[in-house]
Formats: sequence, structure tokens, C-alpha cells
Amino acid sequence: MTSQPIWSPVALSNMVEPSTSTGAVVNGAELVVWRDSSGKAHVWEDRCPHRGMRMSFGFVRGDHLACLYHGWQYDTAGQCSHIPAHPQLEVPQTIRMQTFAAAERNGIIWAGATADANAALLPAERTGLVTVRSLYADCTSAKALKVLAATPLPGSADAPTVEAITENYVSLTSGPIRLLVAIQIMGEEKTALHMMATEGAPVAALARYAQDLRLILETPVAEAA
Amino acid sequence: MSALTLYNYELDENSYRVRLLLSMLGIQHEIYSVNMLPGREEKSPALLALNPCGTLPFIEQDGTVMFGAEAILAHLARNNDASRKWLPIDGPDFTATMMWLGFAAGPLQAAVKAREVAVFAVGGHLERLKAGARAAFRIMDDHMVLRQIEGKDWFAADHPTIADLALIPSFALSRDFNIDHEEFPALRLWLRRFRRLPGFITMPGIPDYH
Ligand code: FES
Repeated sequence: MTSQPIWSPVALSNMVEPSTSTGAVVNGAELVVWRDSSGKAHVWEDRCPHRGMRMSFGFVRGDHLACLYHGWQYDTAGQCSHIPAHPQLEVPQTIRMQTFAAAERNGIIWAGATADANAALLPAERTGLVTVRSLYADCTSAKALKVLAATPLPGSADAPTVEAITENYVSLTSGPIRLLVAIQIMGEEKTALHMMATEGAPVAALARYAQDLRLILETPVAEAA
Repeated sequence: MSALTLYNYELDENSYRVRLLLSMLGIQHEIYSVNMLPGREEKSPALLALNPCGTLPFIEQDGTVMFGAEAILAHLARNNDASRKWLPIDGPDFTATMMWLGFAAGPLQAAVKAREVAVFAVGGHLERLKAGARAAFRIMDDHMVLRQIEGKDWFAADHPTIADLALIPSFALSRDFNIDHEEFPALRLWLRRFRRLPGFITMPGIPDYH
């Protein structure tokens, strides 16, 4: 297996509102991405230590994430702090979530491979970006990269100029348009592309371009040839 | 006018569509609980005499029966919503409202059937139905991505319509047949928005969060 990136994109920042949670899969590992009521993002393993319910089905209460099944609540450090069936109980320190580092950079929530992933390895910060969309496709990340590099951006007939910012973050440029694509490897045949563009870019046209891209990404190679 | 009676089954998704609008518009009504499972009461001679289709939901008022969830939604909105927002009959949003209402009755029924196979163990090809449901959710998510870019929060108008209401249940219940919400970020935001509208009610399978 190829080495795993230290930081993987898991969602566009503004698609996860404060006090909400969602699931995200990175290399087959199920994660929960959630924002507390103050807006801070957290990434944990998507499994409740009690009976294994998915925490992404749960709900946020202030700065706690609560499990949908029996309501156990976990604080921002992943420590269980409240068990509704035993409200008096001092919850043992051992009941805690496996947590991962979480960071926001360039309009994207990134999950660290470990709890202490090195923030210096995040892509360099850029300002003036606008949201395009996240695109989920049944294809390998290698195919996604190939198709991104070969498909003209809106308003152009030629393939874009491609620059790999990191191993899972590419910049596509065509005339005045620059599209930044963060690539989330979900599994062998499942990839998510989180797209932001430079300010002033034709966002609706880029969203349609992404939609069309999915058709190419999911067309079996033999037929596409 | 005599009371409106809704013939429904608590766990039936199309019945929930009508209950949801009754609640959101605050319409007085009575409920007749049909023993759909395991009784198949909707196919009994007594109920077939009312609704020859043998489907749920249907409503009865003043001796008149109306079947088909989407037709019932349009009928109730037309007669009970003075603001004309839930069914924008006269405005330019009518076309999109009817189109997405038709989508709920058409392609999206793959999701309704997938849930029936998964939850009620009735016959059907689950994987094929799930693929149909996923394709329908993608069409909806693509639409809401573009709507959001235009600064719009709802499917057909600047405000929720019966199109949103008819589309919401299948997405809210998709975990019943193992389609998660993570691949549809724009629908996730839309569902959260809809849940906060006055009169919103849940059904089993849609968590209440408290
Ligand atoms: S499984 Fe999470 S509280 Fe029981």
C-alpha cells in the first residue's frame, strides 16, 4: 500500500455548520467530523465506545457530541463526561474516543492521520478563495488526477496547467481561472474532490464542470477509450 | 364541513409526507391507523371500497376520497395556505414546484421502495433500488449546489414549497437502507434548514435530537 498523506481533506469548511456532525471516510477508516457550538472542528473515529454506534448519527450539545443510541456525551477532548442512565456517575477516564488532529486551511477541513499530526505539513495558506463544491465519485484517486489534468476548465478548449501543491492537493489554472482541488481517498474505488476557486471565478460554471467530470470519472476506462 | 380523515400507517414514508404537511399547516384532522403490516388492511374490501388503488395514504372528507401523496399535498396546500407559498399557484415558481413534486413521485420512489425492502422485508431488489435512490439523491444534491451558488435555500422558490416537503422524507430516512448523508453535503444543509421550520415533526427513523 502507498503511504498515507499526513493530512487528508474531509469536507468543505462551510458545508459543516456549527453544532452539526457528518461522517467521512479516509482510506476505509470511518471518521466523524463535527463542529462544536463555538465553530471549532473536531475529527474522531466514528464509533461510540459504548456499543459502537456511529457518532456521525449523533448530535451536538454545546461543546459535546452526544451519541444517538444511549445519549453518552463526549467533550472536545473525546472524553466521555456524561452517561444519561447513570447521571451521578463519575465517568472513568478510560471511556474516550480515538481523536485525530483537525485543521482548517483554504476553506477545507483536514483530518490528521494521528492526534498529533504536524500542522507545519498542511498546505500553505491562501486567501481570497470561494467555495465551488465537493464531488463524490466511484473511481480511484489516480484516475481522478488524470481526468482533472486532461479536462479543460470552463471557457477553455485546452487542458489546464497543473501544479501539485501536495500529494493530495492540486491547483488547475486556465487563463484567469484557478481551481484548487483537495483529494480525499475514501477507498480503492471511491474518491471525493473538494473544490475551491480564486475569487471572481465563475463558480456556477465550475460547479457544472465538476458535475460533468463525475460522468467521465465513473465511465469504465475500456469504454472511454 | 366534516372532519378530514387521513388513512395512514405510522411507518409508511408516503403517509408521513401528508402528516408532515398537516402539521406544518396546522390542519385539523382525524387519523385512521391502517394495519398495513402485517395486516395488509389497505387491500381489504372495506378499504378498497374507499381507495381502489389499495395504497396509502389517502384522505376522506365529506364523502370524497383522494389518493396519491403528491396530489393530496397540492390539494391541502391549495385550500389551507392563504399565503400561497407552499403551492405557488400563480407565480413563476409553479413550474419548478410541480417538476420536483413529480420527481418525488417518480425517480425518488426508488428510495421509498429501497426502504420498504430494507425495513419491512418485502420483496424487491435492494441493490438496484439503492442505486436508483443514490442517483436520485445526486440529482437533488447537484441541484441544491447550484441553488446555493445562486443564494437560494430551497428547491423551487425563495421559501419552502410542497416540493421540498415531498423530497425531504426519503433523504431524511436514507440511513434506513444504508445510504449515508456524507456524499450529499448540500442536501445535508437543506435538511437541517427544513427541520427548523415551524410545525416540523419526525417519524420513526428520523431522530428527534433531544
Ligand atoms: S452506543 Fe453510544 S451511547 Fe450507547
